Amino acid sequence: MEKDKSKVRSSVSPQEPNTHQPRRIIQPQTGWVCLNLPELVEYRELIWLLAWRDVSSRYKQTAVGIAWAVIQPFVLMVVFTVFFGNMAKIPSEGVPYPIFNYAGMLPWQYFFSAMVNSSNSLLANSPLLTKVYFPRLVIPCAATLPPLIDFGISSIILVGMMIYFGIAPGLGLLWIPALVLLAFTTALGAGLWLGALGMLYRDVHHLVPFIAQVLMFASPVVYPSTLVPEKWRALYGLNPAAGIIEGFRWSLLSIHSPQSTAIICSSVAVSLILLLSGIIYFRQVEKDFADLV
Amino acid sequence: MTAVALRQIAKRYDIYQRPIDRLKELMWRNRKSYHREFWALRDIDLEFERGLTTALIGPNGSGKSTMLQIIAGVVQPTLGQMHIAGRVTAILELGAGFQSDYTGRENVILNGMILGIGKDEMLERLDEIADFADIGDFFDQPVKTYSSGMVVRLAFATAITVDPDILLVDEALAVGDVAFQVKCFDKIDALQKAGKTIILVTHSMDAVKSHCHQAVLLNGGKVMAKGKQDKVVPMYLDLMERADAVAAKVFTAPAAV
Repeated sequence: MEKDKSKVRSSVSPQEPNTHQPRRIIQPQTGWVCLNLPELVEYRELIWLLAWRDVSSRYKQTAVGIAWAVIQPFVLMVVFTVFFGNMAKIPSEGVPYPIFNYAGMLPWQYFFSAMVNSSNSLLANSPLLTKVYFPRLVIPCAATLPPLIDFGISSIILVGMMIYFGIAPGLGLLWIPALVLLAFTTALGAGLWLGALGMLYRDVHHLVPFIAQVLMFASPVVYPSTLVPEKWRALYGLNPAAGIIEGFRWSLLSIHSPQSTAIICSSVAVSLILLLSGIIYFRQVEKDFADLV
Repeated sequence: MTAVALRQIAKRYDIYQRPIDRLKELMWRNRKSYHREFWALRDIDLEFERGLTTALIGPNGSGKSTMLQIIAGVVQPTLGQMHIAGRVTAILELGAGFQSDYTGRENVILNGMILGIGKDEMLERLDEIADFADIGDFFDQPVKTYSSGMVVRLAFATAITVDPDILLVDEALAVGDVAFQVKCFDKIDALQKAGKTIILVTHSMDAVKSHCHQAVLLNGGKVMAKGKQDKVVPMYLDLMERADAVAAKVFTAPAAV
């Protein structure tokens, strides 16, 4: 910090231009744009500010505030337990259906809201796009963070349920941070694609909730992945959300089947491809964002 | 020394009548074109010397704002190259990129960070900014509750307090009351003395005459004249008298690929 200050201070002298913002050259960019990720690190303070502001404003004008983070997944879990667990008698791999469902619901809810949040973030921040320059990647990155708070809060219910049902997690629990990171990168990758496409075609914003609904039924949220017929499993593994949920159940409840590993691995691969291609696509179209708002 | 140099800058906007046209073009892989073009700027070769205040004048739609947006780095030029030496702050068409549901205070910090100034540094300057903006308790209210004059007050206060080398002002000052305008022009004079580069878009020829070193006249996205204001301002007034001389704003078919 001290160093930063001295840099800014020295620039106060009238004759010298600011040293930390040297001569810049701007020209039309064509073809492959360099990813320039260090720039993103430089703007980490801005990412935190935008993310924090999103968290604090999200429940500001609501009566029960942050409790919404718990109410939503909990009520859904109760509804799913009644319809899928009790009435449809969907198997739950040897653990009680409520906890089976909730352990899948948590990562799903995070993935879903992070994806929606980051794909809507560019339009939500349009005043910034048209008035000031900064790396546009900052916006969707910041938008993928706030749902982590909801995720953390709704996890408390899970801990309570695990105590209630007497389920102790194994060493697999240590994988949780990696799985959260996987959920983050997947949501960000999807958000970059959908957000950038949404600037060109506003249709995307109608499509996103629909995609999310389809994805939920294509993921093992309400049913175990073992119910998926053999011939569909390769296709099933292409859905990155499937691997995330499978991974969480394995890590928290020690539930896994022979195909779990394959689903998780393909999920990691799809997630990385999604993120990399998302960054490249985003970088290619970001120069036009100000014209498209 | 040159603070901003524009070389062969041009900006083209592709105008699609309907969004589906963009999709059709994608299907045809650009072999068929469904859009028309609008050249907001063409063949711009300009140099802004450090320490000089330049007025950009011209009829509505002549490309003044687009030029400021390009210098601010918000809009990418379609062709050409631009060199910039120093930190640029801009007040572009009402508001310097304020988030309407953030408070004034939060917006100031946000703006500082966007300009690459740390949070601590910005916190130190908050009082100075609040003082200059002089919007009282509204400083801690969401910006959406502000009058347009208040927005400009805050925007101007932020832009000048973050110590820019190059300051861009787009017509904004016209919204402020007389007292604030006087205050702003005093500040602009002070920045001039400190050797800052200022580019001002304005329709007030009085401001051009009393506060600027030179003027650039734009018409139809091209530079018509650049030089001393007593030479350029009469040309502008003359242009305003003859409606037929003001360049038409027309869309053109894209050049064949």
